[in-house]
Amino acid sequence: MMTIILRRLLALPIILLIVYSITLTLAWAVPGNPLENPEKRPKPEVIEQMNKQYNLDSFPRFYVSYLSNATGYQYAKDYFSGQMKRERELSEQLGVPVPARPIFDFGPSLKYDDATVNEIIRDTLPVSVTLGASAILIALFIGVGAGVIGAVKPNSFLDLSTLAVSMIGISLPGFVIGTVMLLVFAINLDWFPIGQWGTPRSIVLPAITLSLPFAAYIARLTRMGMIDALGADYIRTARAKGAAEYSVLLKHALKNAFLPVLSFLGPATAMAMTGSFVIERVFTVPGMGEHFVNAVQNKDLFLIIGVVLVFATMLIVFNLVVDVLYRWVDPRIV
Amino acid sequence: MLRMLVPIVLLIFLVGFSVISDRPQPPADLVFINSSEVNTLDPQRMSWMHDLRTARLLYQGLVQNDVLSDDFSIIPGVAESWNLSDDGVTYTFHLRKDARWSNGEPVTSEDFRYSWRRAMLPDLVSDYVNMFLNIQGAQEFYDWRQTKLEKFSERSFESSADRQEQAYELWIETQSKFDEIVGMQAIDDHTLEITLKHPVPYFLELCAFVVFAPVYEPLVSQYERPDPVTARLIRKPGWTKPKVLISNGPFVLDGWRMKRDMRLEKNTNYWDKDSIAIDSILIPSITDPNAGVLAYQTGALDWISDVTAPYRGDMVAQKLEFLEEHAEQVAEYRAQGLDQFTIDRLLPADPRAHTHAVSSFGTYFYNFNCKPNLPDGQPNPFADARVRRAFAMCVDKKSVADEVRRLGEPTASTLIPPGSIGGYTSPKGLPNIGDASSEDARQEIINKAQELLKDANFPDDFIVSLAFNKDSGHDLIAQAIAKSWQKHLGVKTKLEQNEIKIFRDDLKNKQYMTARAGWFGDYGDPTTFLDINYSTDGNNDRAYDSEIFDSLLDQASRELDQVKRLVLLSEAERIITEEDLPLIPIFHYATIYMFDPHKITGLSTHPRTKQNAYLIDVLDDDRGPNEPKPMRHQSDPILEATSP
Repeated sequence: MMTIILRRLLALPIILLIVYSITLTLAWAVPGNPLENPEKRPKPEVIEQMNKQYNLDSFPRFYVSYLSNATGYQYAKDYFSGQMKRERELSEQLGVPVPARPIFDFGPSLKYDDATVNEIIRDTLPVSVTLGASAILIALFIGVGAGVIGAVKPNSFLDLSTLAVSMIGISLPGFVIGTVMLLVFAINLDWFPIGQWGTPRSIVLPAITLSLPFAAYIARLTRMGMIDALGADYIRTARAKGAAEYSVLLKHALKNAFLPVLSFLGPATAMAMTGSFVIERVFTVPGMGEHFVNAVQNKDLFLIIGVVLVFATMLIVFNLVVDVLYRWVDPRIV
Repeated sequence: MLRMLVPIVLLIFLVGFSVISDRPQPPADLVFINSSEVNTLDPQRMSWMHDLRTARLLYQGLVQNDVLSDDFSIIPGVAESWNLSDDGVTYTFHLRKDARWSNGEPVTSEDFRYSWRRAMLPDLVSDYVNMFLNIQGAQEFYDWRQTKLEKFSERSFESSADRQEQAYELWIETQSKFDEIVGMQAIDDHTLEITLKHPVPYFLELCAFVVFAPVYEPLVSQYERPDPVTARLIRKPGWTKPKVLISNGPFVLDGWRMKRDMRLEKNTNYWDKDSIAIDSILIPSITDPNAGVLAYQTGALDWISDVTAPYRGDMVAQKLEFLEEHAEQVAEYRAQGLDQFTIDRLLPADPRAHTHAVSSFGTYFYNFNCKPNLPDGQPNPFADARVRRAFAMCVDKKSVADEVRRLGEPTASTLIPPGSIGGYTSPKGLPNIGDASSEDARQEIINKAQELLKDANFPDDFIVSLAFNKDSGHDLIAQAIAKSWQKHLGVKTKLEQNEIKIFRDDLKNKQYMTARAGWFGDYGDPTTFLDINYSTDGNNDRAYDSEIFDSLLDQASRELDQVKRLVLLSEAERIITEEDLPLIPIFHYATIYMFDPHKITGLSTHPRTKQNAYLIDVLDDDRGPNEPKPMRHQSDPILEATSP
């Protein structure tokens, strides 16, 4: 168990480096200059200087400088080489305090002048995590419930209708379901607020909408696993020894049927927790998902890389957590 | 079995914890939304309309526009009075003694020198730097600094420590250079003398622009320092954060959560705080056009400052229907000279009346690439003004405005919205098929256009491309225009849709034939629109190069007599809208608001569309006078009383 954790953690930086390289290369290739306000263009010589300042004039230089800032290497270097001390002294000469400097510096946002990428992630990630976690919870309850019901009486009316609902959950896009939910529950019934994130009530609608595709997938996984399990010998044994039906279903069969769901939970949780552009737009959730789309449109290089790295890290970490849980739940797997 | 519940328990714990730790903002007296997230609260850096609108709540410049008066006159701000020298170049502002920063410190003339110096630095890349370059010595200062910076980045240094020290020294040198050559003198703490390099008749208009508002030096300078590598002054974010920001306007920043909301509280140190009828403002970040309207309908919002929902055309149509039902009363009120918001308030309450189409200080137009050759090297037929005129005449502007946009926007025959600038007479513009009174007149215009094309030897098989960016319905407008050209001029057309960044790049590099465009004025002078056609202007996407036009603008900039000056500018606009047509004005924008006229007052209907939200009074709350604030006419006694 320890070796697997160790091995994964060692692989983490390598994977992140690969993700970083690919993302930066692609983002760099996006046309347009991120420093230009389209309406009022600064003079070319000023643009040139700004490009220099942000290292936007040279791919290799940007590659190295971003990496050393984001990994904390630059911080450590400046700290030990005395650069930071010098900066402090110079600031004292000028009579101004030294601004705080983060160890892992993801750089400034080129679009949002008043925010650093660190601040944007700090402000938006918790929101996305809350919403994502709630959505996965809801998806688990709906999905596992529907899957079990379906598996008990395969091809019955109940099974087919849960299957139909889960198909709808997968196929209907979030903005359709979301808008319908808003109209029905927020406007007509007035049960939930619109555009005010922060209260438990405001999480309900976006969480349900976000959960539906996951729930549908979990339902199908559970159903499949349950049908497999219910036909197995140990279930017959359990029934033969006179175990109650609910105990056969929930204790014996579900235990095995849940394993594929568990492995799906890793990437699903990472995906749900890093935010969804559509859900965030429709329900005005101040999460991180929007930046995956908008940062690319604005060619906000620092922000693109920042959010992608966060997503990659979460994906790897959640997969690791799931792997560990997996082995713990099912000791047969080594 | 229990082990399986562990991930679920973990998730529940996570959700519970984050819900408990997150607190929503307390309710506010006024809740309004902008169409997008605020980019910056640094006045010298901003140029987006929603940023400027927010900044006017937080900062106040030397003077301000009286947005509730018909002529948008200049009224005192931080300066209680001012004089202009006889030669028209030296302004002396007398700052009021009771103007204070939100921390209680007085606003001094040094604050303005510091803030305007920021804007003049090439380092800051202020979008409006050109406005500051009207000040004597500012251009020289800007160029000096820029040259120094360029030299610095080419120089080699002994060590990085040496480099850094030199960068700091250059910065100190820059500050004294500013003191030496730029025409801004602080006579004392409350007297500011500004010398212009030539008379600028609209200089007070510029001073009313929030980019000219002061920032608090002891705070802001902490976040600015020279970059050790390039020596450019780097602006670290941080001073615009809530509880940190110190400002001098009617409100202070109480909370700002990215993409979430912004909360403002009345500034207890504001000199005119008694005139403010609301204590707090909440600006949630609702950027989805549909969600904004839905939130308004649930009563969560008081004002939407820019409705962009795709169905807003229907909303405007319903409003017109409502006005139609009360046509008699409306006509009567209009005859009395009442403004639209006041009329809406006098009519019976109706949800349809919450939609308001307000004329904007902006114009939608189509650019022609005026270069002699097209990007592919072929001769450009649009280099010929006759071709451009013909194409301009055959755009059915009326059908674009009435059937595609459906917002009740007026068609445009000029670049500057008529009536938006006092004393300025707009030229007539070219006749357009959309304006033709009869079918015969229409046919006559078409014949005329076809003749022009023949005279110019317009090639037969030429395919005209129309470039536009995705979203916002530009595709529908392009289709309508292309159809007009096909039908009336018999030319082939091609639509080219691109992502905004690519589209902008193509415009900048003149990689297009015709392209959609829009422009909003910044200050109350024709040059705010006309300058973009000056041959060397950075925003001259058309590559339009006319000696006559340029020389008219040059003459106007030297003309001391404002009446004569406006005549020159009007002639310049006549050249681009009647003769040369580097662009085709299509319509003047309207902005769509949503608010309840029976509840909210203090918004302006002036075509300059500048709202000072601190003037808003929520009627029937327990704050403020709760009196409606209609638009005042020039002759109203109340206006005379407040004029300097």
